[in-house]
Amino acid sequence: MTTIETKSLSDSAKTKCFGVSVADIMSKDVITFAEDDPVEDVIGIFEMHHFHTYPVLSANGELVGTIDQNIVLEVLLFNRVPRTRHTHLAAIRSLGEDAKGIMMPHPVTISYDTDLYNAADMMLKHYIDRACVTDDGKLVGIVSKRDVINEVYRTRGTG
Amino acid sequence: MEDLLLLLLIVFLAKVFGEVIERAGFPAILGEISAGIVIGVLFIEPDSEVLSFFAELGAIFLLFTAGYREVHIAQLRSASGKALIPTISQMFFAFGSGFLLGLVFNLGFLQSIFMGVAFSPTSIGVVVKTLIDFDYLSSRPGTMMLTSAIFDDIIGIFLLSIVVTMATYNQAPSGMQILIIAAKLVGYMVIMGFLGLKVFPRLFTCVQKMHVKESIFAFVIIIALFSAYLAEVFGLHAVIGAFIGGLLISDIPLAKISNVQSKVSGLAYGIFVPIFFAFIGMSVELEIVKTSGLFIALVVVLALLGKLIGGFIGTRLIGFDYHDSLVFGLGMMPRAGVELVVISAGRTMGIIGDEAFSAIVLMVVISIIVSPILLKVAIMNKGIFGRSAN
Repeated sequence: MTTIETKSLSDSAKTKCFGVSVADIMSKDVITFAEDDPVEDVIGIFEMHHFHTYPVLSANGELVGTIDQNIVLEVLLFNRVPRTRHTHLAAIRSLGEDAKGIMMPHPVTISYDTDLYNAADMMLKHYIDRACVTDDGKLVGIVSKRDVINEVYRTRGTG
Repeated sequence: MEDLLLLLLIVFLAKVFGEVIERAGFPAILGEISAGIVIGVLFIEPDSEVLSFFAELGAIFLLFTAGYREVHIAQLRSASGKALIPTISQMFFAFGSGFLLGLVFNLGFLQSIFMGVAFSPTSIGVVVKTLIDFDYLSSRPGTMMLTSAIFDDIIGIFLLSIVVTMATYNQAPSGMQILIIAAKLVGYMVIMGFLGLKVFPRLFTCVQKMHVKESIFAFVIIIALFSAYLAEVFGLHAVIGAFIGGLLISDIPLAKISNVQSKVSGLAYGIFVPIFFAFIGMSVELEIVKTSGLFIALVVVLALLGKLIGGFIGTRLIGFDYHDSLVFGLGMMPRAGVELVVISAGRTMGIIGDEAFSAIVLMVVISIIVSPILLKVAIMNKGIFGRSAN
């Protein structure tokens, strides 16, 4: 077993973190779906990549929803899940033929200029693991807890 | 019996009975109502103020979560207008059979109207499992059922709001009173629409930054209670407001964070809604089975036939063949949550008598049991006809 020494942020590292915005740490190369992408293609992307959530964009590039692993699992196994999960909405989603038909509309978003602390606070307080980053309704990236941890770790190392 | 012990007993038995019924292949609501009937027969009368208040909260949260989690305004916009014809047809026939039955049995105008409204909605969730088992969910009648169910709740709530407001006049309203009813409805909708579009989204942006624990969850509940209360101020029923409040925040991302949804669902389906269904069961007078057998039989048969015939005719009008129309009609037969909320509201307002109340609860129970069975038989018969045709 390896034991590592942990330490809290130094003052200089804190100052560095304070100036960091979500835009600095988010993933910018995001795989997105168009609203009319067929469900089979959507499931194929989940098989190819390891990401948890994919944004769905409208024809004019606006973020309209997200598709995450839970949705794909629910769609794939709808026939097998217990009756209590056979809600009207789940039944409609199971018949969805394209990304729009199965996506979760109105995803939680975070503005690109939100600072790191506020982003982390929101994630911790409301148990949000990742959020789409937007600039005036347009998707510019995705930020996850891992991105925040990586940034804090990087800053601490150089602090 | 002490209130605390009573609540403990009700939640415990509702969950245990619900699980047994669920494992037997039927929806848990049957178990929760049965738990109430057993408690009512063996132990106590439902005269506890605490219990009836919890049951009222159950009805409020049942409809609030229906609006909050199950309906999306975008869905309504995209739902095919074609579904309106079968929806209106099945609701019209169901309403008509309930209303006429009430008149024939001299229940009075208002109680007859309430009977009609209680006959009108459908609980599609009851037959989804059957549709899946027979690979019928994506069939023409299957998808039409799902689309029709989107309109169904909305029209049901609209009918309830009219009848509740009418009930305040305790008679058939005059022309002036109809205008006042319409003005109240419009006034409430305008205020709620403004809050939903302009205030609630900003409110949640601020709430998200609050330091106190569970701020978003608390404000979702506050909106549920506020919408219900404001509806009562406008002379509507609290459950109508709760449904509209839920609908209005269903498009606000921060209010729909999965963690918050899960807490709201836990509060509703973990505690209040089972208490509401058990309370309904406790309020059933089983003696009326002996004294009013014919009335109960007619309530059950007409409530089911109204949906079947209305659904059949409505889908025939838009070009379904006989078999698909039959499947659609049968799929529209089950009743559950909203119907029970309607009669519960009617009973609290002193409009629905014990006899009609108990008969409709038994109709709900029977509809939940027989609808999937009849649907199964109808779907399987198509196979038989198909083979004989070959």
